Amino acid sequence: MHINRIDDFNRRAFLKRCAALSAVGAAAPLAMNLAAAGEAAAVTATDYKALVCVFLYGGNDYANTFVPYDLKNYDRYARIRGGASGRKRGGIALGYDELAATVLTPVAAQTLTDDLQYALAPELKDVAGLFNAGHAAALLNVGPLLTPLTLRQYKTPDRAKYPLPPKLFSHNDQQSVWQADGSEGATIGWGGRLGDLALSSNGTSALTCVSASGNAVYVSGASALQYEISANGAIPIWPAKGAVYGSHEASQVLKTLITQPSSNVLEAEFVRVTQRSMDLETVVNGALKPVELKTAFDAGGKNSLAQQLRVVARLIGARDTLGMKRQVFFVSLGGFDNHSGLMTNHPGLMAHLNEALAAFYQATVELGVADKVTAFTASDFGRTLTSNGDGSDHGWGGHHFIVGGAVKGGQFYGTAPKVSVDSDDQVGQGRLLPSTAVDQMSATLMKWFGVPASDQAMVLPNLGRFATPDVGFMG
Amino acid sequence: MRAETGADSDAEIVRFLLQAQFSATADDVAAVRDLGKVGWLLGQFNAAPSQSGSAWLNERQLFVPTKDGNYFNPTMGDWMAWRQVMTGADQVRKRLSLALSEMFVVSLDAIDGFWPPYVLAGYWDMLNANVFGNFRTLLEEVTLNPALGLYLNTRGNLPEDPATGRQPDENYAREVMQLFSIGLYELRPDGTPRVDAAGRKIETYGQGDITNLAHVFTGYEWDYSKCLYAHVPWLGYGIPTTEFTRGHMAYNILHHSTAKVTFLGTTIPAGADGRQALKIALDTLFIHPNTGPFFARQMIQRLVTSNPSPAYVERVARVFADNGSSTRGDLKAVWVAILTDPEARAPVDPGNAYAGKVREPMIRFTQWARTFKVRSDTGAWAIGNLSGGDWALGQSPLRSPSVFNFFRPGYVPPHTQIAEAGKVAPEFQIHNESTTASYINFMSGAIKDGHADVKPDYAELMPMAHDSGALLEWLNLYLSASQVSPKSIELMRTALDATPVTETSPDADKLKRIHTAILLVMASPEYIVQK
Repeated sequence: MHINRIDDFNRRAFLKRCAALSAVGAAAPLAMNLAAAGEAAAVTATDYKALVCVFLYGGNDYANTFVPYDLKNYDRYARIRGGASGRKRGGIALGYDELAATVLTPVAAQTLTDDLQYALAPELKDVAGLFNAGHAAALLNVGPLLTPLTLRQYKTPDRAKYPLPPKLFSHNDQQSVWQADGSEGATIGWGGRLGDLALSSNGTSALTCVSASGNAVYVSGASALQYEISANGAIPIWPAKGAVYGSHEASQVLKTLITQPSSNVLEAEFVRVTQRSMDLETVVNGALKPVELKTAFDAGGKNSLAQQLRVVARLIGARDTLGMKRQVFFVSLGGFDNHSGLMTNHPGLMAHLNEALAAFYQATVELGVADKVTAFTASDFGRTLTSNGDGSDHGWGGHHFIVGGAVKGGQFYGTAPKVSVDSDDQVGQGRLLPSTAVDQMSATLMKWFGVPASDQAMVLPNLGRFATPDVGFMG
Repeated sequence: MRAETGADSDAEIVRFLLQAQFSATADDVAAVRDLGKVGWLLGQFNAAPSQSGSAWLNERQLFVPTKDGNYFNPTMGDWMAWRQVMTGADQVRKRLSLALSEMFVVSLDAIDGFWPPYVLAGYWDMLNANVFGNFRTLLEEVTLNPALGLYLNTRGNLPEDPATGRQPDENYAREVMQLFSIGLYELRPDGTPRVDAAGRKIETYGQGDITNLAHVFTGYEWDYSKCLYAHVPWLGYGIPTTEFTRGHMAYNILHHSTAKVTFLGTTIPAGADGRQALKIALDTLFIHPNTGPFFARQMIQRLVTSNPSPAYVERVARVFADNGSSTRGDLKAVWVAILTDPEARAPVDPGNAYAGKVREPMIRFTQWARTFKVRSDTGAWAIGNLSGGDWALGQSPLRSPSVFNFFRPGYVPPHTQIAEAGKVAPEFQIHNESTTASYINFMSGAIKDGHADVKPDYAELMPMAHDSGALLEWLNLYLSASQVSPKSIELMRTALDATPVTETSPDADKLKRIHTAILLVMASPEYIVQK
């Protein structure tokens, strides 16, 4: 098999030049500027675009998120998951009549594998509405792949010819593979690489890559740093801003102490984060202040994903103040590792996801940027179709949403897997063998973001192994 | 106070104490000087444990069902956890148990059902009971613990059923290998990964090993056999008493898979008794050559340094393999090896730019609490979950967001010199623009007012409040083993002296100076990085 792969040398050289450019800035020698301009030109744009990764930590149960709705396939699903007679809920199967309000109806007719029709989890009512209105697409059976794989190839011991992503089925490693193409310890995510390309377009380059959910490798680039923001905005270091127990002198000294350089690298790097926190706090909170959204995000006050997406929407609302042209955001929701209690826990998670995604889309409409902002879901892995008793186990491929005004929505992309535990599109127990690679999903989003095909291959070194890098959901 | 450097200096003894436990006092220093470090440690290992988490919950009458549904409320689990780490003379036991809790992770986040505080206390007390025992026993106690059963789904784990296609839950089978014993890749005795001829790391197990091993962990249930049920007028079902939260889960032979199990080259024959199968499985993990270096490296990271040399790991792993009396897994010997290793005890090398580790936020707060003898006048110890990264510490004991702990032992902070040098810095995984600010804000409130009903006592510092130099010297020694530089101390002194305080100043002025001094020290990166 011919493998068209950008060699590591080129990739490293490219990333190095990105880093060098950001370090030297305007005073860079001409050759450097030219080289970098060529690479970064695609994202040197005058318009605004933002990409938002919604990560579902723990491995989302794909089968109760996208539920077979045609009777033939529903019955297969219910049989495998222990549904009750009369198509009622049972085991870890949802009842057929629970699904009527969330049926997905493609805007243009589509025929899926085995004539599958899907309904979403009952709580995903608004997401189903977005799909049916053409504002959201579904990408079926996507997961990490280094090369296209059939079941036979997966089973072959020839790993040189048919390499596998590292540590399949392991949470921390697969989170890292989704976000950064590498197992735990990876330091550059593909969102961050997009950020590298866009840094020079942005007035406040430090806000190119933003996480509203702790540290995530997804938004770390070679040059672009992750900026972490709380759901309520940047956190001021109060004692360093005015007084320490009434003393201004102590406040000044505190500020010096927490930002002073050190020959101990742990101290020096600790300080760099604190310095960045202080430098950006005033800028960020100043820009956020006038951005009031009418869209309600979190009716119950307990939806952390909605709270994170609210601050992302507010930052997008502040894009002109901050001079932003391209941004990559990361938000997350935890609790998806439901080996047990799937039927108790999953509905609440789906309700939060529904509220958060719908509110976020609505906010982008309110801000007039619906077609400039694309959100997509990701997760450690899909799960098994079979039951552990009252939950499901770690899997591989899963189904995901892409939401936004620029999405060619109301359509399914990728290949629907059979509802089975022994078909050749899975590795057993309904652990899906991905038919679309995360790299293809990424490439499709990157193209929309403005990265030309040549640079996509540099950011995603395995992309050349896939015949159709663009899955088509961005038109 | 003794000379500033050298093995017998106050600073070196405090440095040792702050690696072995949460805080240090002049009495502790005298005791270590008297007994020697090894002798002192052995004394601590043999000291009686203080009141357990469960016993404290009982003392607080928290087992009595109340109409507000306290039997479902996890909050007192946080109170219990904070009180446990902040009180009791047996702080070596607790500090090392906390280190274990960051490898053998169970989190209150995911504990629901009846009596979450007791379920959590059952786990914490088990760690404390085994921290000076043998690793093999610890591994079995962890495996059979009710909280663990809930957290990693061995509780209620059913055998395969060909009729329905149901399979045993694989969660614990995976995590006990990946996280609790052998890890993902074959290791050399010094903890570095072995590689094949092509230079690739060698995986320790595959999916098949997990699917097989999962059968061993079927047939366990919470043991309600000793429970009585309280029937209260406001609830339609009985509330069990708390015995099920302690000891082992019950083994139900009818729910145990009798399938033949092959994993890591070991075979458990079909039809084996569940107890026997468990023994074979845990023995296999215990004697695996990875287990010593895998455990040793992580405990060194928790207690001493993020980047131990391979030789340091190997020295500790050797002690794990054999304590000198042909016993494998002797945890006392492992703790002594970690804390008295030449690499832990050598003076801080100014040429080593990667010395030490970031003190975890929950350990900074606990150190403050113990150093300043916090007390709860109400007895509630109502310190809740401080995991909030925007208003609190971004970390709380026994509140990890997942079984992968608050941070990974292999975490590399992106775009840092640490990454370029191929080093790791686990605690940086919870260090970001929000948490760095939030910690300082939180501490500035706690130092002055305490937190909830938990209040500090600065009486010991009051007599030196007028002498900013003496005050800072004291704080630097006991909080930081004198690792805050003279330059920074001088800077702090100018800040304190800007508001003059004399021996006759009102207590309020003295206290304000004490608060200021503590905040300045505890916010300093030179304190935060423990070297």
